[in-house]
Amino acid sequence: MIQLHNITKTYHRGKLPTPVLLGIDLKMEAGEFLSIMGPSGSGKSTLLHILGLLDRPSGGSYRLDGSEVSSISDDDLARLRNAKLGFVFQAFHLLPRANALANVLLPFTYAGQFPPDAQERARQALSRVGLEHRLHHRPGEMSGGECQRVALARALVNDPEVILADEPTGNLDQRSSLEVMSLLQGLNAEGRTILLVTHDNAVGCMARRVLRLVYGRVCSDEKVANPTQALQQLATLPPPGVQG
Amino acid sequence: MSLTWRLLKAAFTSLWAFRSYALLMMIGLIIGIASLTVIHQIGQGTRQRVLSMMESMGFGSDAFFVSGGGGRLGVRRGMKRTMTITPADAEAVSRLDGVAQVVPHKNVTRTQVSAGARHTNTRVRGATPEWAAARRWGVARGRFLNVQDERRRARVVVLGTTVARELFAGMDPLGRRIRIGRTPFNVVGVLESKGSSGWRDRDDMVLIPLATAMTRMSRDDKLSGMRTNLEDPGRREEIKQEVTELLRRHHKLGPGVPDDFLIITPEELTQLITSQSRALVAMLSFISVVSLFVSGVVIMNIMLVAVSERSYEIGVRRAVGARRRDIMYQVLIESLAVSAAGGVCGLALGLLLSGLATLLLDVPTAFSPTGFIWALSFSCLVGLLFGLAPARKAASLDPVEALR
Repeated sequence: MIQLHNITKTYHRGKLPTPVLLGIDLKMEAGEFLSIMGPSGSGKSTLLHILGLLDRPSGGSYRLDGSEVSSISDDDLARLRNAKLGFVFQAFHLLPRANALANVLLPFTYAGQFPPDAQERARQALSRVGLEHRLHHRPGEMSGGECQRVALARALVNDPEVILADEPTGNLDQRSSLEVMSLLQGLNAEGRTILLVTHDNAVGCMARRVLRLVYGRVCSDEKVANPTQALQQLATLPPPGVQG
Repeated sequence: MSLTWRLLKAAFTSLWAFRSYALLMMIGLIIGIASLTVIHQIGQGTRQRVLSMMESMGFGSDAFFVSGGGGRLGVRRGMKRTMTITPADAEAVSRLDGVAQVVPHKNVTRTQVSAGARHTNTRVRGATPEWAAARRWGVARGRFLNVQDERRRARVVVLGTTVARELFAGMDPLGRRIRIGRTPFNVVGVLESKGSSGWRDRDDMVLIPLATAMTRMSRDDKLSGMRTNLEDPGRREEIKQEVTELLRRHHKLGPGVPDDFLIITPEELTQLITSQSRALVAMLSFISVVSLFVSGVVIMNIMLVAVSERSYEIGVRRAVGARRRDIMYQVLIESLAVSAAGGVCGLALGLLLSGLATLLLDVPTAFSPTGFIWALSFSCLVGLLFGLAPARKAASLDPVEALR
């Protein structure tokens, strides 16, 4: 489904070009759950941006669903992001003045035409992340974990093939992190492909495959024999409100 | 369309959420549009007031005025014209099909009039008995000039109230004798007071029979002009043309020779009277446009800052599939919403202010559709024009950068 061959990325910001990715090869099948890990500066976010079609590689080939996407037009990239990908960010990035429902509806705005059942689908996505009671709350009126679940619903609503999550638990407490991770694991169990960037080992080990980057190169690419089940971890936590 | 509607709704929602901030942002625009509106309201009001004054003088859309002397319509006050219209012309025009009535008059030069030791300088006009009805100007005391006066070239006079006051100072002028120049006249009536027309005192005048003016008070046999009333206002242009041809024929004007007379409609006269205020309107409009331009620059700057502050929102929109042009469109819609809202506020303020001006200062104002259209189209133009730079900036943001 995803095939990267010798992907490089060099930024030209300062006087000297800064190479970030030095030739990444990656092959992913539909339904995989991959976490990309590495120390900061290893290029994991850049790789995710390229995989998420937010950025173009400087060199190499990227085939998504069999077609080359490393050099297609901006508009085509936008169309593919809208149709095939869903994003979750560390800082949630919800629109502050829109309620949960309106935030989840956002991808439909750019889908060419607004589907007639958009509202219904947005409600379903929100209840999928357990927020059916928060439809009309604004981000400011919800906890961080709830905000991230709204963001997850937004990533889900267009029924994308791949969900890309960039440090989705970075701003969350342990319970909220586990909730978000259990949702991602659940989605993966339903067959959705998931790409996760994290520097947290505990989170990374909840994926079924871990790609480790160091200085722009793949250092290891391993299957996780027994991924940690977030739901089980959640059960071991003391009930909310109790200081443990 | 759905996207536009959604973006407009979102733009107005956030405008409302930041209404005090937005008000500051739009204040220049509001003031500019308000003053533009007030200016147009006053211009329109003045025009309507002059026009209704002419209607009150019976000079409506079913009439025009033929005066002697040709050339362009200039400032008529104190200007001498060569008189060219003869009583025979008036007679011929009155027989044209569609002409209801021709009311000729002759102005004698401003003359000294005296009663005993008191004297004043006033306009002396020769008029026919129909003049009073045609001008809708009745007498307050005594009678108006009649057919016998005209036939006998009688030395009788009807006084305007200003002249009556100057000469008789509260005493009853009826039956008294005054001198116009050296010629003695009997006072038979006093006109109703009409007050000022805005540029001259309409009561500062005396009326004598036209025949008397033509024979006793003047050496030429030319009329100053004739009011021509029509049966059907719809045929005015056509009859104007016929009158022109008739007068050119009578005056033996060859082809290429300019008219030696002038036909004026109430609308043209209104334009002439309001031309000074129109120059003022043009100047103030210009100032408003400059202030609108400045307010556009203010809006542009604030929008540019807002684009930087909302870069992550732009990043998110790009991530979920917005194209560059979608972002550009959104920012343009937002600046359009700001400027349209400012335009509507300015228009409301302008209507309020011109209403107050009428109420408190008796400034004539009237709803001006052109002012309305100018206000709204100008504010939208400002929004589009000055939204362009922020829109381009927003569209050119790199999604990865925007999300950082």
